[in-house]
Amino acid sequence: MGEYALLYILFAPFAGALALIFVSNRQPTLVRGIAASAAFVSLVASLYIFYGYDTVQGGFQFVQKFAWSKELGIALYLGVDGIGTPLVLASSILLFAGIFVSWHIKDRAKEFYIWLLILAAATIGVFMSLDLFFLYFFYEMSVIPMYLLLGMWGSHTKKYLEMTDPEGLKQRDSIGFIFNFGSNSKEYAAMKLVLFLSAFAVAALMGILLIYKFSGLNTFDILVLREQANLMNIPVLGTTLDKIIWILVFFGFASIAPIWPLHSWSPVGHAAAPAATSMLHAGVLMKLGHFSIIRVAFEILPETTRELMPIAAVLCMFSIIYGGFVAFYAKDTKYVIGYSSSSHMGYVFLGMAALNYISLSGAVIYMFAHAMATGMLFAMAGWVYDQTHTRDIPSLGGLSNKMPFISGCFIVGCMASIGMPGTVNFVAEIMIVVGSWNKYPLQVIVAMLGIVLTLAYLFKMMRGLFYGPMNQKYSHAHDAVGTVDRLPLLMMITISIGFGIFPMHLYEVVRSGVDPLIARITHVVPVAESDEGSRSVKAAAEITQPPAIPMVSNKPIAQVSEASRGGQE
Amino acid sequence: MNFVLNLSFSDLLLLLPEIFLTCWLCVVITVDFVSPRLPKERLAYLSVGGLLATLGCLAWFDVNQVSGTLFGNMFVLDRMAIFFKIFILGSTVLVILASIEYVDRFTLFRGEYYALVVMSALGMMFMASANDLLSVFVSLEFSTLGFYILVSYLRDDLASNEAGLKFFILGVFAAGLFAYGISLVYGETGKLVFSDMASAPATPGLIIGFLLIFAALGFKIGAVPFHSWIPDTYHGAPTPVTAFLSIAPKGAALAILLRIFIVALGTFKPTWIYLLVAVSIVSMTYGNIVAIAQRNIKRLLAYSGIAQIGNVLIGLAAGTKMGNDAILFYLLAYLFANIGAFAVVIAVSQAIGRDEIEDYRGLGRRSPFLAFSMLLFLLSLAGVPPLAGFIGKLYIFIAAIKEGLYTLITVGLINIVISMYYYLIVVKQMYINEPIDPSPISIRGPMKAVIYVGLAGTLVIGIYPQPFTDWVVAATLMFANFVTPAATITPPTVLIGS
Repeated sequence: MGEYALLYILFAPFAGALALIFVSNRQPTLVRGIAASAAFVSLVASLYIFYGYDTVQGGFQFVQKFAWSKELGIALYLGVDGIGTPLVLASSILLFAGIFVSWHIKDRAKEFYIWLLILAAATIGVFMSLDLFFLYFFYEMSVIPMYLLLGMWGSHTKKYLEMTDPEGLKQRDSIGFIFNFGSNSKEYAAMKLVLFLSAFAVAALMGILLIYKFSGLNTFDILVLREQANLMNIPVLGTTLDKIIWILVFFGFASIAPIWPLHSWSPVGHAAAPAATSMLHAGVLMKLGHFSIIRVAFEILPETTRELMPIAAVLCMFSIIYGGFVAFYAKDTKYVIGYSSSSHMGYVFLGMAALNYISLSGAVIYMFAHAMATGMLFAMAGWVYDQTHTRDIPSLGGLSNKMPFISGCFIVGCMASIGMPGTVNFVAEIMIVVGSWNKYPLQVIVAMLGIVLTLAYLFKMMRGLFYGPMNQKYSHAHDAVGTVDRLPLLMMITISIGFGIFPMHLYEVVRSGVDPLIARITHVVPVAESDEGSRSVKAAAEITQPPAIPMVSNKPIAQVSEASRGGQE
Repeated sequence: MNFVLNLSFSDLLLLLPEIFLTCWLCVVITVDFVSPRLPKERLAYLSVGGLLATLGCLAWFDVNQVSGTLFGNMFVLDRMAIFFKIFILGSTVLVILASIEYVDRFTLFRGEYYALVVMSALGMMFMASANDLLSVFVSLEFSTLGFYILVSYLRDDLASNEAGLKFFILGVFAAGLFAYGISLVYGETGKLVFSDMASAPATPGLIIGFLLIFAALGFKIGAVPFHSWIPDTYHGAPTPVTAFLSIAPKGAALAILLRIFIVALGTFKPTWIYLLVAVSIVSMTYGNIVAIAQRNIKRLLAYSGIAQIGNVLIGLAAGTKMGNDAILFYLLAYLFANIGAFAVVIAVSQAIGRDEIEDYRGLGRRSPFLAFSMLLFLLSLAGVPPLAGFIGKLYIFIAAIKEGLYTLITVGLINIVISMYYYLIVVKQMYINEPIDPSPISIRGPMKAVIYVGLAGTLVIGIYPQPFTDWVVAATLMFANFVTPAATITPPTVLIGS
């Protein structure tokens, strides 16, 4: 059964959604049971591929390929490498946790679970697609469920006309107000999210279509394209084609990441979404951006990536600082976590921009770590909202008396988010910081500042929610006592701390995916083997920047070329 | 040209579907006439039975690859004609099933309604086979005649009368243009059959003639700038007729456009490509932007139909075999999504009595089935995976990018985003807004069947398109001789234009 693991992960949620269509809302236990078991199948299979992944061999494993359309050169081609594996695991963990977090949903529970399962399955589909068409297919498919989840089960920002907006201005005073009429309503958030993401997704699609045309191979297969597509040095509009494709693909996918100037849909969307959706959204949906950039731009256009990736290095500074400051001044729990997420995604871009083994591995581990940390925070913000029906921090306070378990977990969540030693976030952050220092010292200093900011706004929010005088209006609020309520939080905490203390397997898995990629981008010279007449690549012997930092890497460098060759096969 | 009419039995076999349907049409009328007390529903099933028998016959033709020409090349039966005939008959069957309830609104001539629908379908079947300007003209007017009556069938409703009148006046005007175009083309070339014109030199008269013919056909498919009748006619016509009008004539007219542009004018591709690019860009953009402002669901679907035709014309502008395949595939996706959406509109208007978008408030609570179906149909029209519309759009874009039509694709992609807005506005009304009157909406059997067929088509084509792509690829095989081979990969000197 092992070789079909990816199919189980991908199609279990779809099957669950399909089964739910035929169940009535009058049987809530059955509805939840189906949803939870579908997610459970996915989770078990994800754990199987995570621990079954052969890190020595590397490359794409658990590969499944089905011809889908011969005319268009499309195949349903699934496979995971060291980069996809942890993200698939994170998605199924968050889906499983999300189903328990939304256990008490009353209104149209069946439909909620259907869309949640489709959202998660589509996300998982992106992480395992080895075909550009299906990568886009699943990517776009994940957008529409967000609209319904936000619109049907989301929440308006209370008293939005009186409330200050995230920038700390009165709504009416802010410049954005004329563009924002009706903003802070969930309909606005949902529509903005869909249109924003679709608009940039079609830009990425244009890039994909250009790759398809100019490779001349009549295929969307990423593995074929990365070996055979020759897109370099085609002059177009005063520049070269590969740059245009790279820009289209990078900004198309970076909008969901979200990188700084394209982030505005994201906190609004987080705020409007129900807890489980926010978890999936911040936890994994945003990583679709980084992942797709790695899969499309890094794999197919390595040379251009090396040339243009400094763009990301510049923009990530703004992401980190802007998101951090806005989160500090925001007065809405979900805005704080939402902006914190978009700030933290700047670290991932920094790790990607530095383009070396340590920093890119750090970036991938950070995606996994952030999924856990932000999942916890959103789950708890959702719990507080369910109990008090407000997200306005100044009106809350002293809830730790009423909900000691939640406030305890919240401390852990904050610690994880900050990157305390002992959580997996620490491992990731230290790798990004250490790996990027040589190339981007300024950005690393900014990132450090960002960590301080994270500390500030999360502690500020923690104090505002759980300590200080309590508003008697919320005296009816109660703690998470049931197993169902505690399970998701405990699960995410365990994983976060567990991988923090024992990061080696995660590290090796990620490293086995990152090594061949970085070898291609930075240290690879094409060597023509005349007797075969084919163009093959070989890792160059000399490595200009020794990536081995003994503190975190105990893997001998000699394995680099071995792993890279494994990945090429 | 001398017409020597010697028809053998095997020649008549090619005409069998049309002959059979003509006889069946007479049967339907006679039954209605002889037994006026018969419930009109029976007549609907009687018509559907005849149409299904014809469909079966055509399917048999398709499997056994029956083909041939008749009447001195005026009538051609090839696999593309069979494809379009199946397309037309399929949509007719679905329209008749969807109109069974609606027909009770007509005060008079309920029985003739079905006969007229079948008659229009018959005319369009001839259009699909027309291989000559004269047979195009005759069959076009034959099918439109039925539509003139059908559009104004709600005889006590002013909007319906206005729609009929508008459609009639503009339709007759288009027919005049068409006839004038034919006369110019015939005067210049002395030929009427498409394949004979392939080598004609481009004289001003010929160009003007073909422009006039394009205008008349553009009127049929509702491409900008020949679209002005569409919103009012769609709005005022009885909803099943609107559904019929939005699918079948477009398919039939596209069959003719394909034959004209690929067979007759294949050598002039560098010239007409600009015309098609311009019409396509304007249709997509105009249709989508104006649709945003609509308050009525039928008008919204009318403008969305204009935009969809703009998309189809991208495939025609590509002018390759793959472009033609993509058009046929897109039409299939469009058929299921559009007929489904109109079926939901009919079901809702039977319950509520109005077609405004705000009447869809809370449909998700009142009828989860209708709302979910409408959601999928609209998303398919918008082009969201995993539904048929997405594959259709992508097929067309791939065909176009192989020809280097970058501007057209960029505009098409931007229009996907614009269209998503107004489709989602309807989704918002259905799912996010709470209903004013929460009473559930019930649907009757035939209507449910239509919606199920629409759902099945939309999902199956989207998830497993291989059999359908095989079908459309086989259907346009005879064009392989006419189309220019796919452009080889050359470095583009400029990304703008084609």
